[in-house]
Amino acid sequence: MSSQPILAEPRLRAYLAAVAAGLPGPRRHRERILTELGDGLDQDAAGRVAAGLGPAAAVDAAIDAFGSPDVVAAAFAGELATASARRMLGWFVVTGPLVGVWWLLVLHPHPWRAGVVALVAAIPVIPVVGVTLVTVAATFATTGRLMRWLPETGPRRALVAVVAVGVLVVGADVAVIAVYLGSGWPARPLGVVAVAASVIRSGCCLGAVRHAAALHRRLVDRTGRDAHR
Amino acid sequence: MRPELLKGHLDALLLAVLEPGPLHGYAVIEAVRAGSGGALDLPTGTVYPALHRLERAGLIASTWETVGGRRRRAYRLTASGQTALGEHRTVWDRFSTAVTALLTGPAPA
Repeated sequence: MSSQPILAEPRLRAYLAAVAAGLPGPRRHRERILTELGDGLDQDAAGRVAAGLGPAAAVDAAIDAFGSPDVVAAAFAGELATASARRMLGWFVVTGPLVGVWWLLVLHPHPWRAGVVALVAAIPVIPVVGVTLVTVAATFATTGRLMRWLPETGPRRALVAVVAVGVLVVGADVAVIAVYLGSGWPARPLGVVAVAASVIRSGCCLGAVRHAAALHRRLVDRTGRDAHR
Repeated sequence: MRPELLKGHLDALLLAVLEPGPLHGYAVIEAVRAGSGGALDLPTGTVYPALHRLERAGLIASTWETVGGRRRRAYRLTASGQTALGEHRTVWDRFSTAVTALLTGPAPA
């Protein structure tokens, strides 16, 4: 087998570029997939060169063996969609405390020892936060290490979970802003910070929801095309 | 061999070829082909995503290394993967015994 990589072959680079064009999802994942595919192609072609084929013919044969860029990219679509979904759900979880802490400071019942009922009465979106966390935890578990024991959540359902959680988060932000504005003390500095944090997070959430919905549509379209082949 | 026959068994096959030691993606394809006497020639688009899914499930782990100027991702079986492989083997033994008994049973008199 050749010890020199033959990835420099223009056709190999063009093939990988065509695969890359069909890969959605997180950039780091895409780069890893392309590096791995490039290595596999390189080894396949090098093996054919060692068996007596010319470099160009070896590259052509390796590419034929790997399949068309569309087919290869489509094969990774599910994994990339799941990776995107997990990433977006992780982002929702991380932003929860970053935004929630301000609302807790602004809306918490006084005195603190009033208990959970008073806390929910003061911040009525707390049950929504609970539902959101349960949905995120369930999706993480069934797309990760626990899927050996639990029913696996497919990429399309994981993206639906992202859309659902995103809508819940935006709804909670809007609701808590409405509660604050209706409370009669909107001029407090802490309140301004909390409203700003919620508005920024809601904007980002809507972006994530749109992205997840687009990925979902793409997966559905692809499944439909495959079914008609 | 028709690819649909592999449905449900791909995970077990990939875990089995990784049992002797770490392999990179292309070597996994080669190992399945060689280990099956050439009968199972899995497409790239099947093997690489399946390896990524197994890693997500914690059944295999991967490390990146540089070999001869190439960046290469090597996969190895985890302890969970070893356990899962044992379970796959048990299921397969029962399944194959039952199917073999039905398909090669005594001919009607």
